Amino acid sequence: MHSKPLESSPEIPVTGAAGTSSATKDTVLVAVFAAMIAAMGLVPPITLGLIPVPITLQTMGVMLAGAMLGPVRGMLATLTFVALVAAGLPLLSGGRGGLGVFAGPTGGYLIGFIAGSLVIGVLYKYWVLSRRSKAARLVAGFLSAVIGGVLVIYAFGIPWTAMVAGIPMGTSAIGSLGFLPGDLIKAGITTAVAVTVHRSYSGLMK
Amino acid sequence: MIAAKNDSWLALVPAGAKFAVLLLVSIGLYLVGHWQPLAVALLVSIALLLSAKVALRQLLWPLVSLLVIVGIIWVLLGIQTGWEQGAVAALRLLTLCIFAYTVSLSTTFDQMLELFQKVASPLKYLGANPAQISLGLALAVRFIPELKRVYLEVREAQFARGLHNNPLAVAVPLVIRSLRIAEETAEALDARGYDSTTTP
Repeated sequence: MHSKPLESSPEIPVTGAAGTSSATKDTVLVAVFAAMIAAMGLVPPITLGLIPVPITLQTMGVMLAGAMLGPVRGMLATLTFVALVAAGLPLLSGGRGGLGVFAGPTGGYLIGFIAGSLVIGVLYKYWVLSRRSKAARLVAGFLSAVIGGVLVIYAFGIPWTAMVAGIPMGTSAIGSLGFLPGDLIKAGITTAVAVTVHRSYSGLMK
Repeated sequence: MIAAKNDSWLALVPAGAKFAVLLLVSIGLYLVGHWQPLAVALLVSIALLLSAKVALRQLLWPLVSLLVIVGIIWVLLGIQTGWEQGAVAALRLLTLCIFAYTVSLSTTFDQMLELFQKVASPLKYLGANPAQISLGLALAVRFIPELKRVYLEVREAQFARGLHNNPLAVAVPLVIRSLRIAEETAEALDARGYDSTTTP
Protein backbone atom coordinates (compact mmCIF):
# COMPACT_ATOMS: atom_id res chain seq x y z
CA MET A 1 0.00 0.00 0.00
CA HIS A 2 1.18 3.48 -0.78
CA SER A 3 0.62 6.56 1.24
CA LYS A 4 -1.28 9.43 -0.26
CA PRO A 5 0.84 12.29 -1.49
CA LEU A 6 0.02 15.71 -0.07
CA GLU A 7 -2.11 17.02 -2.92
CA SER A 8 -4.55 14.14 -3.06
CA SER A 9 -6.23 14.70 0.29
CA PRO A 10 -9.44 12.71 0.04
CA GLU A 11 -12.71 14.51 -0.50
CA ILE A 12 -14.66 12.15 1.73
CA PRO A 13 -15.99 14.28 4.55
CA VAL A 14 -15.18 12.91 7.98
CA THR A 15 -18.26 14.30 9.61
CA GLY A 16 -21.83 14.08 8.53
CA ALA A 17 -21.76 10.63 6.93
CA ALA A 18 -25.35 9.53 6.84
CA GLY A 19 -26.43 7.49 9.82
CA THR A 20 -23.13 7.56 11.69
CA SER A 21 -23.78 8.06 15.36
CA SER A 22 -21.63 10.97 16.42
CA ALA A 23 -21.01 9.55 19.90
CA THR A 24 -19.44 6.42 18.45
CA LYS A 25 -17.38 8.39 15.97
CA ASP A 26 -16.11 10.75 18.65
CA THR A 27 -15.01 7.78 20.73
CA VAL A 28 -13.23 6.22 17.77
CA LEU A 29 -11.51 9.51 16.88
CA VAL A 30 -10.28 9.85 20.46
CA ALA A 31 -8.93 6.28 20.38
CA VAL A 32 -7.22 6.71 16.99
CA PHE A 33 -5.48 9.91 18.05
CA ALA A 34 -4.42 8.36 21.37
CA ALA A 35 -2.87 5.54 19.33
CA MET A 36 -1.23 8.09 17.01
CA ILE A 37 0.47 9.79 19.96
CA ALA A 38 1.71 6.36 21.05
CA ALA A 39 2.86 5.42 17.54
CA MET A 40 4.84 8.66 17.22
CA GLY A 41 6.87 7.66 20.28
CA LEU A 42 7.37 4.06 19.18
CA VAL A 43 8.97 4.56 15.79
CA PRO A 44 12.69 5.24 15.70
CA PRO A 45 13.41 8.94 16.12
CA ILE A 46 14.22 11.11 13.11
CA THR A 47 16.42 14.14 12.60
CA LEU A 48 14.53 17.32 11.87
CA GLY A 49 16.15 19.92 9.62
CA LEU A 50 18.13 22.21 11.89
CA ILE A 51 18.64 19.98 14.90
CA PRO A 52 21.43 17.41 14.65
CA VAL A 53 20.05 15.15 17.42
CA PRO A 54 17.27 12.70 16.49
CA ILE A 55 14.03 13.49 18.32
CA THR A 56 10.75 11.65 18.67
CA LEU A 57 7.54 13.24 17.55
CA GLN A 58 5.50 12.30 20.62
CA THR A 59 4.79 15.89 21.74
CA MET A 60 3.78 16.64 18.17
CA GLY A 61 1.11 13.97 18.52
CA VAL A 62 -0.16 15.74 21.62
CA MET A 63 -0.27 19.09 19.82
CA LEU A 64 -1.97 17.52 16.79
CA ALA A 65 -4.67 15.90 18.94
CA GLY A 66 -5.73 19.32 20.23
CA ALA A 67 -5.31 21.08 16.91
CA MET A 68 -7.23 18.48 14.90
CA LEU A 69 -9.97 17.37 17.31
CA GLY A 70 -10.61 20.45 19.44
CA PRO A 71 -10.50 20.83 23.21
CA VAL A 72 -12.70 18.00 24.53
CA ARG A 73 -11.82 15.16 22.16
CA GLY A 74 -8.20 16.31 21.91
CA MET A 75 -7.81 16.29 25.67
CA LEU A 76 -9.54 12.91 25.93
CA ALA A 77 -7.17 11.45 23.33
CA THR A 78 -4.16 12.63 25.35
CA LEU A 79 -5.76 11.45 28.58
CA THR A 80 -6.29 8.00 27.03
CA PHE A 81 -2.63 7.89 26.00
CA VAL A 82 -1.47 8.92 29.49
CA ALA A 83 -3.80 6.33 31.07
CA LEU A 84 -2.30 3.59 28.89
CA VAL A 85 1.20 4.66 29.95
CA ALA A 86 0.16 4.64 33.62
CA ALA A 87 -1.37 1.20 33.16
CA GLY A 88 2.04 -0.05 32.11
CA LEU A 89 2.35 0.00 28.33
CA PRO A 90 5.91 0.98 27.31
CA LEU A 91 4.81 3.81 25.02
CA LEU A 92 7.22 6.59 25.94
CA SER A 93 10.50 7.10 24.11
CA GLY A 94 13.05 4.52 25.14
CA GLY A 95 10.27 2.05 25.96
CA ARG A 96 9.41 3.63 29.29
CA GLY A 97 6.01 3.20 30.90
CA GLY A 98 4.29 2.35 34.13
CA LEU A 99 3.82 4.23 37.35
CA GLY A 100 7.56 4.78 37.83
CA VAL A 101 7.41 7.40 35.09
CA PHE A 102 4.98 9.48 37.13
CA ALA A 103 7.10 9.17 40.26
CA GLY A 104 10.19 10.21 38.30
CA PRO A 105 11.45 13.66 37.33
CA THR A 106 9.66 13.87 33.96
CA GLY A 107 6.18 12.90 35.20
CA GLY A 108 4.97 16.50 35.14
CA TYR A 109 5.41 16.74 31.39
CA LEU A 110 3.00 13.83 30.96
CA ILE A 111 0.36 15.56 33.06
CA GLY A 112 1.13 18.74 31.13
CA PHE A 113 0.37 16.88 27.86
CA ILE A 114 -3.29 16.65 28.96
CA ALA A 115 -3.60 20.35 29.78
CA GLY A 116 -1.56 21.31 26.71
CA SER A 117 -3.84 19.51 24.26
CA LEU A 118 -6.87 21.09 25.95
CA VAL A 119 -5.44 24.61 25.59
CA ILE A 120 -4.41 24.05 21.96
CA GLY A 121 -7.89 22.68 21.24
CA VAL A 122 -9.59 25.75 22.72
CA LEU A 123 -7.33 28.15 20.83
CA TYR A 124 -7.73 26.31 17.53
CA LYS A 125 -11.47 25.98 17.81
CA TYR A 126 -12.30 29.53 18.83
CA TRP A 127 -9.41 31.53 17.40
CA VAL A 128 -7.27 29.89 14.71
CA LEU A 129 -10.01 28.32 12.59
CA SER A 130 -12.07 31.51 12.54
CA ARG A 131 -9.23 33.38 10.79
CA ARG A 132 -9.97 33.87 7.11
CA SER A 133 -6.60 34.21 5.39
CA LYS A 134 -4.11 31.37 5.34
CA ALA A 135 -1.30 33.56 6.66
CA ALA A 136 -3.36 34.65 9.66
CA ARG A 137 -4.26 31.02 10.33
CA LEU A 138 -0.61 29.97 10.22
CA VAL A 139 0.49 32.74 12.60
CA ALA A 140 -2.38 32.15 15.04
CA GLY A 141 -1.88 28.40 14.78
CA PHE A 142 1.82 28.61 15.55
CA LEU A 143 1.21 30.90 18.55
CA SER A 144 -1.48 28.51 19.82
CA ALA A 145 0.79 25.49 19.44
CA VAL A 146 3.56 27.29 21.32
CA ILE A 147 1.23 28.44 24.12
CA GLY A 148 -0.37 25.02 24.62
CA GLY A 149 2.42 22.71 23.48
CA VAL A 150 5.36 24.51 25.05
CA LEU A 151 4.30 27.01 27.73
CA VAL A 152 1.54 24.92 29.31
CA ILE A 153 3.46 21.64 29.17
CA TYR A 154 6.59 23.26 30.64
CA ALA A 155 4.46 24.96 33.31
CA PHE A 156 3.67 21.47 34.60
CA GLY A 157 6.99 19.83 33.84
CA ILE A 158 9.43 22.34 35.32
CA PRO A 159 7.95 22.65 38.85
CA TRP A 160 7.43 18.86 38.93
CA THR A 161 11.08 18.20 38.16
CA ALA A 162 12.09 20.82 40.74
CA MET A 163 9.92 19.18 43.39
CA VAL A 164 10.79 15.56 42.64
CA ALA A 165 14.51 16.18 42.32
CA GLY A 166 14.60 18.77 45.11
CA ILE A 167 16.43 21.21 42.85
CA PRO A 168 15.71 24.95 42.56
CA MET A 169 13.12 26.00 39.98
CA GLY A 170 15.72 27.97 37.99
CA THR A 171 17.96 24.93 37.53
CA SER A 172 14.98 22.88 36.42
CA ALA A 173 13.95 25.57 33.92
CA ILE A 174 17.48 25.76 32.46
CA GLY A 175 17.50 21.98 32.13
CA SER A 176 14.30 22.05 30.08
CA LEU A 177 15.71 24.63 27.65
CA GLY A 178 17.45 21.80 25.83
CA PHE A 179 14.07 20.61 24.54
CA LEU A 180 12.95 24.06 23.43
CA PRO A 181 14.36 24.13 19.86
CA GLY A 182 12.85 20.74 19.05
CA ASP A 183 9.50 21.69 20.57
CA LEU A 184 9.35 24.94 18.60
CA ILE A 185 9.99 23.05 15.36
CA LYS A 186 7.29 20.56 16.30
CA ALA A 187 4.88 23.44 16.97
CA GLY A 188 5.64 24.76 13.49
CA ILE A 189 5.05 21.39 11.81
CA THR A 190 1.85 20.88 13.81
CA THR A 191 0.54 24.22 12.57
CA ALA A 192 1.34 23.49 8.94
CA VAL A 193 -0.28 20.04 9.18
CA ALA A 194 -3.36 21.25 11.03
CA VAL A 195 -4.01 24.19 8.70
CA THR A 196 -3.52 21.96 5.63
CA VAL A 197 -5.77 19.16 6.84
CA HIS A 198 -8.50 21.44 8.22
CA ARG A 199 -8.80 22.94 4.75
CA SER A 200 -9.98 19.61 3.30
CA TYR A 201 -11.78 18.39 6.44
CA SER A 202 -13.56 21.57 7.36
CA GLY A 203 -16.24 19.89 9.47
CA LEU A 204 -13.84 18.23 11.88
CA MET A 205 -14.47 20.68 14.69
CA LYS A 206 -18.12 21.42 15.12
CA MET B 1 6.15 -2.32 32.57
CA ILE B 2 3.46 -4.86 33.22
CA ALA B 3 3.17 -7.83 35.53
CA ALA B 4 4.06 -10.94 33.57
CA LYS B 5 2.63 -14.02 35.31
CA ASN B 6 3.23 -12.71 38.78
CA ASP B 7 2.02 -15.06 41.49
CA SER B 8 3.39 -13.28 44.55
CA TRP B 9 1.22 -12.12 47.46
CA LEU B 10 1.22 -8.59 46.03
CA ALA B 11 -0.47 -9.75 42.82
CA LEU B 12 -3.43 -10.87 44.93
CA VAL B 13 -3.88 -7.46 46.55
CA PRO B 14 -6.57 -5.45 44.70
CA ALA B 15 -5.15 -2.79 42.37
CA GLY B 16 -7.15 -0.06 44.09
CA ALA B 17 -5.56 -0.82 47.45
CA LYS B 18 -2.07 -0.78 45.94
CA PHE B 19 -2.76 2.57 44.30
CA ALA B 20 -4.10 4.05 47.52
CA VAL B 21 -1.01 2.92 49.46
CA LEU B 22 1.30 4.23 46.73
CA LEU B 23 -0.44 7.61 46.84
CA LEU B 24 -0.21 7.82 50.64
CA VAL B 25 3.43 6.72 50.63
CA SER B 26 4.38 9.32 48.01
CA ILE B 27 2.70 12.12 49.99
CA GLY B 28 4.31 10.82 53.18
CA LEU B 29 7.78 10.73 51.64
CA TYR B 30 7.56 14.42 50.72
CA LEU B 31 6.77 15.29 54.33
CA VAL B 32 9.98 13.62 55.58
CA GLY B 33 12.99 15.93 55.57
CA HIS B 34 15.74 13.76 57.08
CA TRP B 35 17.80 11.13 55.34
CA GLN B 36 17.66 8.47 58.09
CA PRO B 37 13.90 7.67 57.84
CA LEU B 38 14.18 7.88 54.06
CA ALA B 39 16.98 5.30 54.07
CA VAL B 40 14.70 2.99 56.08
CA ALA B 41 11.90 3.62 53.55
CA LEU B 42 14.27 2.73 50.73
CA LEU B 43 15.14 -0.58 52.40
CA VAL B 44 11.42 -1.28 52.89
CA SER B 45 10.72 -0.53 49.22
CA ILE B 46 13.53 -2.85 48.10
CA ALA B 47 12.26 -5.61 50.40
CA LEU B 48 8.78 -5.17 48.94
CA LEU B 49 10.10 -5.27 45.40
CA LEU B 50 11.99 -8.49 46.13
CA SER B 51 8.96 -10.03 47.87
CA ALA B 52 6.90 -9.35 44.73
CA LYS B 53 9.07 -11.89 42.86
CA VAL B 54 9.25 -9.72 39.75
CA ALA B 55 11.47 -10.50 36.79
CA LEU B 56 14.40 -8.24 37.66
CA ARG B 57 15.66 -8.40 34.09
CA GLN B 58 12.67 -6.23 33.14
CA LEU B 59 13.80 -3.65 35.68
CA LEU B 60 17.44 -3.48 34.66
CA TRP B 61 17.25 -0.55 32.25
CA PRO B 62 14.80 1.59 34.18
CA LEU B 63 16.89 1.09 37.31
CA VAL B 64 20.20 1.92 35.62
CA SER B 65 18.83 5.12 34.09
CA LEU B 66 17.15 6.02 37.39
CA LEU B 67 20.41 5.51 39.28
CA VAL B 68 22.22 7.79 36.84
CA ILE B 69 19.60 10.54 37.35
CA VAL B 70 19.64 10.08 41.12
CA GLY B 71 23.43 10.26 41.09
CA ILE B 72 23.40 13.48 39.08
CA ILE B 73 20.83 15.02 41.45
CA TRP B 74 22.84 14.04 44.50
CA VAL B 75 26.09 15.50 43.19
CA LEU B 76 24.36 18.64 41.85
CA LEU B 77 22.56 19.33 45.10
CA GLY B 78 25.56 18.30 47.15
CA ILE B 79 27.70 20.96 45.50
CA GLN B 80 24.96 23.60 45.40
CA THR B 81 23.21 23.34 48.75
CA GLY B 82 24.62 20.56 50.90
CA TRP B 83 25.23 16.83 50.82
CA GLU B 84 22.52 16.01 53.33
CA GLN B 85 19.83 17.75 51.31
CA GLY B 86 21.16 16.00 48.22
CA ALA B 87 20.87 12.66 49.98
CA VAL B 88 17.27 13.42 51.02
CA ALA B 89 16.21 14.24 47.45
CA ALA B 90 18.09 11.27 45.97
CA LEU B 91 16.74 8.76 48.52
CA ARG B 92 13.19 10.07 48.15
CA LEU B 93 13.23 9.80 44.36
CA LEU B 94 14.77 6.33 44.43
CA THR B 95 12.31 5.07 47.04
CA LEU B 96 9.27 6.47 45.26
CA CYS B 97 10.26 4.99 41.93
CA ILE B 98 10.92 1.56 43.44
CA PHE B 99 7.50 1.63 45.13
CA ALA B 100 5.90 2.63 41.83
CA TYR B 101 7.78 -0.13 39.92
CA THR B 102 6.60 -2.64 42.52
CA VAL B 103 2.96 -1.67 42.01
CA SER B 104 3.31 -1.69 38.22
CA LEU B 105 5.07 -5.05 38.11
CA SER B 106 2.62 -6.80 40.41
CA THR B 107 -0.53 -5.55 38.65
CA THR B 108 -1.69 -6.78 35.26
CA PHE B 109 -2.68 -4.42 32.48
CA ASP B 110 -6.29 -5.62 32.71
CA GLN B 111 -6.44 -4.89 36.44
CA MET B 112 -5.07 -1.39 35.80
CA LEU B 113 -7.62 -0.62 33.09
CA GLU B 114 -10.41 -2.03 35.25
CA LEU B 115 -9.33 0.28 38.07
CA PHE B 116 -9.23 3.32 35.77
CA GLN B 117 -12.71 2.53 34.51
CA LYS B 118 -13.94 2.21 38.08
CA VAL B 119 -12.32 5.53 39.00
CA ALA B 120 -13.84 7.18 35.91
CA SER B 121 -17.32 5.76 36.47
CA PRO B 122 -18.57 8.69 38.65
CA LEU B 123 -18.08 10.80 35.51
CA LYS B 124 -21.36 9.35 34.26
CA TYR B 125 -23.13 11.94 36.38
CA LEU B 126 -21.35 14.56 34.26
CA GLY B 127 -22.62 13.00 31.05
CA ALA B 128 -19.74 10.63 30.29
CA ASN B 129 -20.61 7.10 29.34
CA PRO B 130 -18.71 4.19 30.95
CA ALA B 131 -19.34 2.03 27.88
CA GLN B 132 -17.71 4.67 25.70
CA ILE B 133 -14.71 4.92 28.03
CA SER B 134 -14.18 1.15 27.82
CA LEU B 135 -14.59 1.18 24.05
CA GLY B 136 -12.13 4.08 23.72
CA LEU B 137 -9.45 2.37 25.80
CA ALA B 138 -9.86 -0.97 24.03
CA LEU B 139 -9.78 0.64 20.58
CA ALA B 140 -6.72 2.74 21.44
CA VAL B 141 -4.79 -0.39 22.45
CA ARG B 142 -5.86 -2.09 19.24
CA PHE B 143 -4.95 0.90 17.04
CA ILE B 144 -1.40 1.36 18.34
CA PRO B 145 0.22 -1.35 16.16
CA GLU B 146 -2.01 -0.30 13.26
CA LEU B 147 -0.90 3.34 13.40
CA LYS B 148 2.71 2.37 13.93
CA ARG B 149 2.47 0.37 10.71
CA VAL B 150 0.82 3.28 8.89
CA TYR B 151 3.49 5.69 10.17
CA LEU B 152 6.34 3.46 8.98
CA GLU B 153 4.61 2.89 5.62
CA VAL B 154 4.15 6.60 5.04
CA ARG B 155 7.72 7.30 6.03
CA GLU B 156 9.04 4.63 3.70
CA ALA B 157 6.92 5.90 0.82
CA GLN B 158 8.08 9.49 1.29
CA PHE B 159 11.66 8.31 1.65
CA ALA B 160 11.33 6.65 -1.76
CA ARG B 161 10.12 9.98 -3.16
CA GLY B 162 13.18 11.71 -1.72
CA LEU B 163 11.18 13.50 0.98
CA HIS B 164 12.89 11.76 3.88
CA ASN B 165 13.79 14.88 5.79
CA ASN B 166 10.44 16.57 5.37
CA PRO B 167 8.31 15.92 8.47
CA LEU B 168 5.33 17.63 6.85
CA ALA B 169 5.30 15.05 4.07
CA VAL B 170 4.98 12.34 6.71
CA ALA B 171 2.61 14.03 9.16
CA VAL B 172 -0.09 15.17 6.70
CA PRO B 173 -0.73 11.69 5.19
CA LEU B 174 -0.49 10.16 8.68
CA VAL B 175 -3.19 12.46 10.04
CA ILE B 176 -5.41 12.01 6.98
CA ARG B 177 -5.11 8.24 7.13
CA SER B 178 -5.82 8.31 10.86
CA LEU B 179 -9.01 10.28 10.21
CA ARG B 180 -9.97 7.73 7.55
CA ILE B 181 -9.33 4.78 9.85
CA ALA B 182 -11.54 6.45 12.46
CA GLU B 183 -14.28 7.06 9.89
CA GLU B 184 -14.19 3.47 8.63
CA THR B 185 -14.17 2.01 12.13
CA ALA B 186 -17.09 4.17 13.26
CA GLU B 187 -19.06 3.09 10.20
CA ALA B 188 -18.19 -0.56 10.82
CA LEU B 189 -19.37 -0.26 14.43
CA ASP B 190 -22.61 1.37 13.29
CA ALA B 191 -23.17 -1.26 10.63
CA ARG B 192 -23.01 -3.90 13.35
CA GLY B 193 -25.59 -2.08 15.41
CA TYR B 194 -23.18 -0.96 18.11
CA ASP B 195 -24.67 1.89 20.10
CA SER B 196 -22.39 3.28 22.77
CA THR B 197 -25.03 5.69 24.02
CA THR B 198 -26.93 2.91 25.76
CA THR B 199 -25.28 1.21 28.68
CA PRO B 200 -25.21 -2.57 28.42
